[in-house]
Amino acid sequence: MKTGRPVLRAAPFIETSSGAAYGSGMPEPALAVDVEGVTKTYGHLTAVDDLSLRVGAGEVYGVLGPNGAGKTTLLRMLFGLIRPDSGTIRLFGRTWADDGVGVLDGVAGFIESPRFYPYLTGLQNLQGLALLDGDSPRGRVEEALDVVDLTDRARDKVGGYSYGMRQRLGVAASLIREPRLLVLDEPANGLDPAGIRDMRALVKRLADGGLTVLLSSHHMDEVEEICDNVTILSRGSVAFHGTIRDLRGLAPDPGYRLATTDDARAVSLARAGVEVRADPDGGLVVSGPRTAVSQYVAALVRADVELLEFVPTHTPLEALFFMLTGAEPEPAAVPPGVPAEVPAEVPS
Amino acid sequence: MIAAVRWELRKLRAQLRAKAVLLAALVGPVPIVLVIHGQSRPPKDSLFGRFATDNGFALSLLVLGFAAQWVLPLLTAIVAGDIFASEDQHGTWKTVLTRSTSRSRLFWAKVLVAAGFAVVTVAVLAAATVLASLVIVGRQPLVGLSGQTIDPSSALRLVAASWATTLPPVLGFTGLAVLLSVWSRNPAVGIAAPVVLGMVMQLVGALGGLDPARQGLLTTPFDAWHGLMTSPRFTGPLTQGLAVSAVWSVAALAAAYVLFRRRDITGG
Repeated sequence: MKTGRPVLRAAPFIETSSGAAYGSGMPEPALAVDVEGVTKTYGHLTAVDDLSLRVGAGEVYGVLGPNGAGKTTLLRMLFGLIRPDSGTIRLFGRTWADDGVGVLDGVAGFIESPRFYPYLTGLQNLQGLALLDGDSPRGRVEEALDVVDLTDRARDKVGGYSYGMRQRLGVAASLIREPRLLVLDEPANGLDPAGIRDMRALVKRLADGGLTVLLSSHHMDEVEEICDNVTILSRGSVAFHGTIRDLRGLAPDPGYRLATTDDARAVSLARAGVEVRADPDGGLVVSGPRTAVSQYVAALVRADVELLEFVPTHTPLEALFFMLTGAEPEPAAVPPGVPAEVPAEVPS
Repeated sequence: MIAAVRWELRKLRAQLRAKAVLLAALVGPVPIVLVIHGQSRPPKDSLFGRFATDNGFALSLLVLGFAAQWVLPLLTAIVAGDIFASEDQHGTWKTVLTRSTSRSRLFWAKVLVAAGFAVVTVAVLAAATVLASLVIVGRQPLVGLSGQTIDPSSALRLVAASWATTLPPVLGFTGLAVLLSVWSRNPAVGIAAPVVLGMVMQLVGALGGLDPARQGLLTTPFDAWHGLMTSPRFTGPLTQGLAVSAVWSVAALAAAYVLFRRRDITGG
C-alpha cells in the first residue's frame, strides 16, 4: 500500500459482521467484493492508489472519505464503467476479464446521483431497465416502486421528479435486479433531513434482509449509523479499515465551542487535562476527556462565569475522520456538474 | 440484443424529435410539391426541373435531387447523431451500463435502431413525395435523361428505385453521425456535423480536377440513380456508390465501436 500517511489497522484481517475472519486459515466465505491492489490514474492524478478491499457476503460496509478521496472512482471500477490501470476486482468471485458483464449478476446500485430518462415516466424507466436485465417476473417493477414509496408518482415523467424522488427511484432500479450486493454512492446526497432519515431507514431495512451493502459516503454519521465495517480513503489510499467499534476506540477527545460572559477568566480557569483556546470565529474551544471538560464547566459555574453557549465542534468520529483524511470540517463545494472524484474531462 | 433493441425503440417512440422527423417526412413534401407545381416558370437548371411543373414523376425526382443535398443527411443525423450523445447529456450511461447488458450489445442495438429509423424515414419521405407529386401533378409519361419516353408504370418503378438508391449513402451518413455522436458526446455536434460535412463534400465534388477524390465522397452515391434514367441504363455508379457507402459505414462504425468500448464513463 503506497501512502504517505500512516495506515491505521484495527485488526490484522477484516472481520465480517457474522464474525468470520478472512486470512485466518479457515475456508473463506464468499466474498461479495474483493479488490486487490487496484490503481487508477488520470494523467498525473492518481485517483486510486494500490487499493485493496474485501467485503464479505452479508456485510454492510462503508467506504468513507472526503470529496476526491477516490470513492466514486472505486465504485465506477466495480461496475466496469472505468478500467483500473492495474489490480484485480472480483465480485462474488467473478472478474470483468473472465466473465464480462456477467460479473454484475446479483450486483446493483448507483454511482453519484442516479440518472434517468426525463422524457419517460418512472415506471417506463424501470420497465426499460428491467428489459435490459432480462425478463423480470411480472410485478417486480411495481413492487420496487412500492418499496421506495413512489407508486403514486410512477406514471409521472422523471423530468418532474425532485432530487429525493430520483434517489429513491435509483434504489428501486437497483431492487428490480434482486441484488445480493447493493452498491450505493452517497445515497443521502442532496436530500433534506427527512429524506436522509428515510433513505437511511431504507438502507438499514434492506441490510436487515441479508443484502450485502457497500455504501460510500463523506458523512461519518451516516456510515456510523448504517455500517458494520469501514474503509476510510484519503487521496486514493486507505487511511483506515476495520470495524466501527475499532474506529470509535481510536477517536480523539471531543471538542466544544464555548461562549461565556468572561472569556479571559474562563481561560485562566483552565486546568490540567483541558485545553482552552480562542476560536477564530469568536468564543473559546475546549477539548479534553469528557470528565475533565465536565469538571472545567462546573468550575466555571462556581466562579460565576456564565455559559452562553456550549456545543460540540465535531463528534469524536468526525474529528478522527478529519484527522485521518486531512479534510477540512467544511468540505469545499464542488461546482455543479463536475464529478467529485475525477476530472470532468478525462482522456479515454 | 433483442431486449436492448426493444429498449432503444421504446425510448425513440417517446421522443418528440423522432416523431417530428417522421411527421415532417410525411407531410413536408405536400407543400413543396404544391409550391413547385404552382410556379409559372419551372426550375430548368435542375435535373428534371424542366418537366417538374407538369409531370409528377419529374417533380418527385427533382425533390429527390434537392433532398440529397442536405435533407437526407439531416433526417438521419437527427436520431443517429443524438442516440449516443444524449446518454451523455442525460448522464444515463452509468444507469444502463450497470445493468446486465454489455457495451457491445448496447452499441449494436443503438446502431440498428438508428439505421432502421433512417430507412423508415427515407421510405416515408419517398412515398409521401411520390404520392403527393402524382396526385397533385399527375402520372404523365416521363422523358428520360437520354430523351427516351418512359411509360407511367415503368417511370413509377424507376422513381421508386431512384429513391431506394439513396439508402446506402444515407446509411453511410448514419454511421458518420454515430461516430460523431460517440466521439463528441454532444448531440448538437452529432446532428449538425454530418450535415456540414455533407455540404463540404458537395462543394469538393463540384470542384474540377478532383475526380478520383470525388469518387470516394459519401455524397457522390446520391447521384447514382441518374444511370437508371438513361437508355441504355448504366449501373456502374450504383455499384461504386454501394461500395463507397459500405466503406464509409464500416469505417465510421468500427471507429465508433472502438471509441465506445474503450471509453471510461466518468461523467453524469
